[in-house]
Amino acid sequence: MAPRRVVVTGLGIISPLGLNLADNWKSLIEGRCGIGPIESVDCTTLRFQNGAEVRGYDPLAHFAGGKDAQIDRFAQFSVVAAREAFRDSGLELTPGLREQTAVICGSSVGGQWAIEIGYQDLYLHKRGRVHPLTIPKTMSNAGASHIAMDLGFSGPTYTVTTACSSANHAIGQAFRLLRNSEVDLAITGGSEANFAYGFLKAWEAMRVIAPDTCRPFSKDRRGMILGEGGGMMVLEPLEAAAARGARIYAEICGFGMTSDAHHLTQPTVEGPTRAMRGALKDAGLAPEAIGYINAHGTGTPGNDPVETRAIRTVFGPHADKLGISSTKSMHGHALGAAGALEGVATILALHHGILPPTVNYNERDPECDLDYIPNQARRMKVEAALSNSFAFGGLNAVLAFRAFPR
Amino acid sequence: MADAVAAKVIATLASVKRIPADKISLETNLQEMGIDSLDVFTLIFELENAFQISIPDEEVRSIRTVNDVVEGVRKLIPAIPPGASVGTGTPAD
Repeated sequence: MAPRRVVVTGLGIISPLGLNLADNWKSLIEGRCGIGPIESVDCTTLRFQNGAEVRGYDPLAHFAGGKDAQIDRFAQFSVVAAREAFRDSGLELTPGLREQTAVICGSSVGGQWAIEIGYQDLYLHKRGRVHPLTIPKTMSNAGASHIAMDLGFSGPTYTVTTACSSANHAIGQAFRLLRNSEVDLAITGGSEANFAYGFLKAWEAMRVIAPDTCRPFSKDRRGMILGEGGGMMVLEPLEAAAARGARIYAEICGFGMTSDAHHLTQPTVEGPTRAMRGALKDAGLAPEAIGYINAHGTGTPGNDPVETRAIRTVFGPHADKLGISSTKSMHGHALGAAGALEGVATILALHHGILPPTVNYNERDPECDLDYIPNQARRMKVEAALSNSFAFGGLNAVLAFRAFPR
Repeated sequence: MADAVAAKVIATLASVKRIPADKISLETNLQEMGIDSLDVFTLIFELENAFQISIPDEEVRSIRTVNDVVEGVRKLIPAIPPGASVGTGTPAD
């Protein structure tokens, strides 16, 4: 069977930039920064105080009958985003389609809150027992499982966990399942909710969190800022989407993944280079077809120059014509959900012909010498785009999207 | 409302299922009010905290109605020796 073309027909998102798709897009093109003082955790004994939290979220508005207490915040974000994406797709499920629908999610740390509350009960409050649902709340696959139960999808369902590349790996897996005709529909993305004191302390010890804000590619950048949220997309074969007259946001056309096989936290130029080349080759796209890259762009001293060099290596002289932005400057680094939040931004950029900016950009760095769309969104129709995710552990995953109709 | 124990059990149930306490009576069947196996685990945990008791597994299997829960809890309360620390949780947990 010939490989099928796969398109995006539904999007859902909850992030520091808004509780739904419309609010997120508005924030992205207005260049609104969702970073501020962390409110959910007392940070007085932390070296950093700022983060990008999902604000104004009311679990009871989404989960009835006590389910809000049985589902960890990260899995709630998956379900909230998946419900919106499915509604947005306008799909109607038949029993046959239910069984042919995959749910592939990414999450780096799963139910971090549930773990920490359990430890607080045991070690701090000396309670001698933990909440009985600590295990099912903690497990990283809870997000995927709750989506499957909530929406009634009974095809292949699993969670990929590759730190900051989790969502891109998940979306890439879903894309391939559809392209290879193993399933007929997929809901895919990622979610994360990591504002828990112990986890923040662990990040503090890594010494990569900025004390102020996230300034990717700017010479005065001081590190990353943690974020949280969930992003989901509905993928279906082009033929099926066209037959039902679906609104098509974009085509997902390529996926490249590599390992640096080098160092846990120091990235190489070569690993991301091969991942971007892999995505282009998989998509059958010439480098010159790419007009926008949603960069990994963490804002750390280490990542940004390495990513810049990798882009120069892949694109040669065309690199200077690319619009590149790190939307982490607005929604923070949502770890296992990062690729999902950024995938949604990339797809909407192609769909609307507006490229979201890199905000908080102050000063050109000679080592980061590309066009990072500083501070203001740009109205620009592009043919195709890449979305980069590079994880601790040296795991790189790059997705390629093409504007539709071509 | 029957007594303080029943009132506390009903308040705990209402909190677990996020429903108003006045929707629950002693005759209410747990299954009919949508209590599933995970809700039962949560309910036991909350009751153990609220009454500072330890509920054995075998006590759980026979409960059908709210009254079964109340009577089960009532049996366990006097069994606590004075001064013993069976659970350190507080009713506000």
